[in-house]
Amino acid sequence: MSGRSGFWTQALAIAKRDLLIESRGGEVFGVVLPFAAVAVFVVPLATDALATRLDQLAYPVYWLVGLLFGLQVALRQTGTETMIQRRTLALLGIDPAARFAGRSLAAALLMTGVMVAIAPLIVLFYDPRAIPAIGPSLLAVVGFAIGLSMLSTLAGDVTVGLRTRSSLAPLIVAPISVPLLIGASQTFESLILDRSTMAPALLLTVTVLSLAVTGVLTAPALEDATT
Amino acid sequence: MTKRMVLPTLSAAAIAYALWLALDSSPDVFQGDFVRIMYVHVPSSWLAFLAFGVTALGSALWLWRKTIVWDRIAEASAEIGVIFTALAILTGAIWGEPVWGTYWDWGDARMASTALMLFVYLGYLALRRATPDPVARAKRSSILGLIAVVQVPLVYFSVSFWRTLHQGMTVRPDGIQMDGSMVAALLGGLAAFTLLYLALMVERVRLARIEDANTLSDGVAAGTAITAPDLDGIS
Amino acid sequence: MANLGLVAHFPCAPGVEFRVSSSARTDRRLSRTVNSSLVSLRGVGVRFGPTPVLTGIDLDLAHGEAIGVTGPNGAGKSTLLGVISTLLAPNEGSLELFGGPVQRRDLPQMRRNIGMSAHETGLYPELTLLENLQLVERLTGEVVMSAMQALEVVGLAGAAHRRSSATSAGMQRRTDLARLIMTRPQLILLDEAHAALDADARDIVDRLIHRTCEAGGGAVVVSHDRSVLARSLERIVEIRAGGLT
Repeated sequence: MSGRSGFWTQALAIAKRDLLIESRGGEVFGVVLPFAAVAVFVVPLATDALATRLDQLAYPVYWLVGLLFGLQVALRQTGTETMIQRRTLALLGIDPAARFAGRSLAAALLMTGVMVAIAPLIVLFYDPRAIPAIGPSLLAVVGFAIGLSMLSTLAGDVTVGLRTRSSLAPLIVAPISVPLLIGASQTFESLILDRSTMAPALLLTVTVLSLAVTGVLTAPALEDATT
Repeated sequence: MTKRMVLPTLSAAAIAYALWLALDSSPDVFQGDFVRIMYVHVPSSWLAFLAFGVTALGSALWLWRKTIVWDRIAEASAEIGVIFTALAILTGAIWGEPVWGTYWDWGDARMASTALMLFVYLGYLALRRATPDPVARAKRSSILGLIAVVQVPLVYFSVSFWRTLHQGMTVRPDGIQMDGSMVAALLGGLAAFTLLYLALMVERVRLARIEDANTLSDGVAAGTAITAPDLDGIS
Repeated sequence: MANLGLVAHFPCAPGVEFRVSSSARTDRRLSRTVNSSLVSLRGVGVRFGPTPVLTGIDLDLAHGEAIGVTGPNGAGKSTLLGVISTLLAPNEGSLELFGGPVQRRDLPQMRRNIGMSAHETGLYPELTLLENLQLVERLTGEVVMSAMQALEVVGLAGAAHRRSSATSAGMQRRTDLARLIMTRPQLILLDEAHAALDADARDIVDRLIHRTCEAGGGAVVVSHDRSVLARSLERIVEIRAGGLT
């Protein structure tokens, strides 16, 4: 038999678990993504689409939908661990930081998938005046997704088992996610306007790193608080 | 005067003095007398930062020592911080209208990030309300309290990151850009609001102690609530 | 029937001295003398909010011993298991496990030596029975047999590829027991372990307890039904009004 699993083995096992559950349950790509697509579609219906400069709404709507439905991805029902599942993992001696890392990794992958899938719809319905370079844009999207997934995982853990979790967790995440939103959206804008992306990219990177450190450091205390 | 009245009395006196300083200070060259709102707005903002910093400190100390007083301090400070953040936003809006021509400008990063700070701590207080067990409440909210404090430096430094309508930092490395009487009024307001914060904290923590004492049970174990059934009652 | 042999009644010799095991989990076994308890609670009290649930609990579990805990609904039986499992910190008193105090830095290591099974299993509904156990295998890296072998032991090899949501409560309970058989913790905590189990599955529980005691570990078995405990356990304690009688 092999020896005790290390941090990354545990984290990857947890991530694989979440992705396998998603592949079987399909809540993200079968429910959340279509809902996000509907949201992208109905925003112009709330304005006078002929008079409104929809092209100016394109990227703000993209990031807003990414934020709100990224939250849905992280806090989805099939991705939520029950208290007994959390206790079982705790009693297996799983490193709570590895659990945090694994859950965040899986959620980030799923969020990135949703945002990549939504992008063509933004181009189709909003006809933005310019589209940023794919490579750097994808990096911004991935950075945003990683940060949001870590923040949502933290919020989900802080509110686990509470009856108001479905509304409380988004309330906690939304305002704290603004640095991610500003960093990612301003990176896009800088790419379009051919400006330096250093400042917003730095903001995004610093926020992501801060969340990673916070998540890892608070994981043991959160496990104590919520098992 | 009882010991309990000392701090409230001192803070009331300090506020009265700060008010006098504010009314007695020179008007601004461009804003005229509207600048006097600053002597409430800036101390409110300062108090909000202080309060949320204390919440983070109380949270950290609770996680370390597991002593309930730290959780009471964290909670009390967050409540006070939320009130004064709202006051800062309100006074900022009142100040903005005559000076900038608008109550609210979405292009202003500091206004927006201060509002976000308010929402973050409303979430903190909502989490506390949603958790009935006091130990679980302390554990969860102490972690959120540490995470949420990230908002405080973000608000303060946001002015440096974005060019906006908001007043730039007045206290800069190259010196203070204000008249002496205005500086005195501002510092007086800061000191008075800090004393007010201390007075409110002491009182709120005392109330929390009384609330906890009142919720103590009669010591009867939970299991005694269940008794043998009356099977004859099943018809 | 699972190939375990029937065990209707067995004594577990208390305070058995045992040597370091030569199994794959050697690094987790601790050498103990007859004077060192596996579990020791002193004056343990637990409150939920202002309401006391457990008060002044003193309990010792020696190596090689299995103890039954019974009591009426709401007496605090599951709470007691929560404390012993280290998932619930007591408000008063002290807990010692494996001969030493419970300290935060030692918790992951200690918890790997504890296995708990309750009436709610915590299986992931979208995963098959085999996948649920393989997850445990990957997460711990320390198992005495493979997931498939464990399922064979509990008689579920034929249902290994069924999603746990498509299995009965009894099958899920057996899978949970397979997890314990696979990981073989030194201390087993069972909460209403015999509930929703047929006779064969109850034999699995009994044999697991027996083997664990034989290897120098111990078991705490909770049930509201004293007769179930009396079938296989010599020592039974009762919790009433938060205290042990």
